[in-house]
Amino acid sequence: MLDFLQAVLDGMLFGATYALIGIGFTLVFGVMHKINMAYAAASIGGAYCGLLILQVMAGASPWLVFLCAFASGGLIGYLVYLACFHFIPLSSPLATLMSTVGMLLLIDEIIVHATEGRALGYPAVFDDVMLRAGEFSLRGDLLLVFGVSVLCMAVLLFLLYKTRLGLATRAVSQQPVAAQLCGIRVTRVNAVTFVITGLLGGIAGAMIGASVGALSPLLTVPLTVKGLIVTVIGGLGSIPGAIVAGLLVGAFENAFQVLRGVTERDLYVMLLLFAFLIFRPGGLFAPKGGGG
Amino acid sequence: MDFYYGMAQIVGVHTLLGLSAYIVLLTGQVSLAQAGFFAIGAYAAGMLTVLAGWHLVPALGVGGLAGAVTACAVGFPALRVKGLMLVIATLAFGEGVRIFFFNFDYQIARGDITIGPLGGEGFRQIRFFPENGWTTAEVMFFIWVFVIIVMLVLWWFDRSRYGAVLRAVGEDEVAAQSVGINLTAVKVSSMTIGGAIAGLGGGLYAHYTTHIEHSSFNVLVATFAIAYPIVGGLSNVLGTLLAVIFVQVFLVEGLRFLGDWRNLLFGALIVLAMNLRPHGLLDAQALARVRRLFGKDRGA
Repeated sequence: MLDFLQAVLDGMLFGATYALIGIGFTLVFGVMHKINMAYAAASIGGAYCGLLILQVMAGASPWLVFLCAFASGGLIGYLVYLACFHFIPLSSPLATLMSTVGMLLLIDEIIVHATEGRALGYPAVFDDVMLRAGEFSLRGDLLLVFGVSVLCMAVLLFLLYKTRLGLATRAVSQQPVAAQLCGIRVTRVNAVTFVITGLLGGIAGAMIGASVGALSPLLTVPLTVKGLIVTVIGGLGSIPGAIVAGLLVGAFENAFQVLRGVTERDLYVMLLLFAFLIFRPGGLFAPKGGGG
Repeated sequence: MDFYYGMAQIVGVHTLLGLSAYIVLLTGQVSLAQAGFFAIGAYAAGMLTVLAGWHLVPALGVGGLAGAVTACAVGFPALRVKGLMLVIATLAFGEGVRIFFFNFDYQIARGDITIGPLGGEGFRQIRFFPENGWTTAEVMFFIWVFVIIVMLVLWWFDRSRYGAVLRAVGEDEVAAQSVGINLTAVKVSSMTIGGAIAGLGGGLYAHYTTHIEHSSFNVLVATFAIAYPIVGGLSNVLGTLLAVIFVQVFLVEGLRFLGDWRNLLFGALIVLAMNLRPHGLLDAQALARVRRLFGKDRGA
């Protein structure tokens, strides 16, 4: 029983990265009503770019790697916006869905090419720290993942609700035409949204790398699926929903890994999603006026 | 020559996969579950011919039926959510099916070997064609008979009242509902037909490759399924065929000399194609131009 609770706790801490990926999906959906299928791949791509700094400066501190991943995540986010959204008319949702899927494949292949398909080790900090809380122990690296993710979420919420940029973003997400009439440059807000989600993605990718200990192109598709599941369970377009759902999915997944083994655990995550679709299709925090 | 027959087999099966997504896309729904139905058809038909010793044709029928039943069952809960939620729900379903087959063991002893699906190792020995002495050309004709039947049926649908209803739902759900169209019935029926086509295609796929495993039905295959009709355009069933030929013959085989770089180009070309032709290669305008070129404009 104790092992089980420990697994749930670890899973919840790791779930913070799912929450970050989920926020990225949900933010783009909220602003553009589009899904950016390339998001998780771009995040992993950003984390890989973080490793580039080790090529230039051997033995750079892990913090520098994280910072570099953060910055390149933002850059990749902007490139994805340019390649997959900027020139495609908003009226054809299928086209952007397809172009981002193409981007997902492209990023995946670039990573495979650059690394020859091998997994690369990722630097971690605090991985030798173990905090004890009664019967439970908390892994230092997972705590860091959790802490950084919470910090990112707090900054994001501040940005969205306390700044003019956030006001513009929320205006575009509610009424793009009205926002444009008020003098808000919608394309600029869209681009900025992509940069912000890209920055978040870069840090999420780096945190995943740090807590898993390695990066591999094999991570992209499962991460895309998990991120999308988190988005749906939390309610499309809802940031608090994505946070809660990320932690929930992380805990749920680790619990079933203990109970049923690693090959079957994802099956139960899918079942959780279907339970939500049947009983609460709008997600945990459904926006007013129904889901979808 | 066998090389070209083999390629025609691949094109045929992928066309079926694309067409299964095509009919669902006509109603404006994007389903990433087609790889799941494809897998169910493949395993069902394969197990019937290998383990139960059935002839291929009834086994394919059961494979198609299994795909249709699953699609119908998935359709009801999944279609409660619309648009992008459905993309995610069906994506999760497809992955769920893949993981199910990854954990699926059903082996029976035949002589001194055991046959049947074995989890991660997959399902070997689906040897109906070689055991019955079919040549590659015969297999190709057999596959294409099904492809042509399915294409003709979908072509006929497009010209019938049912096709008009499908497209009406795809264009504007509210308007369609206001003229008395039952949205759930239309969407679930198109999903069911799509599932049947995917199941049939899966059955054929299992038999020409002789070996299937869970990774043959991953997200990439589901993406291909919707990519064919979207890249080809939804105005005509031929668009899907054109896209399959473009991808499988030109991109996969024609660019083989590029080696590893081909995969890089593949994603980039999809991005480029969607930027240049957001409504597909063969959209309504292009189709009209082709008709005019051949002077066969029947005022349609």
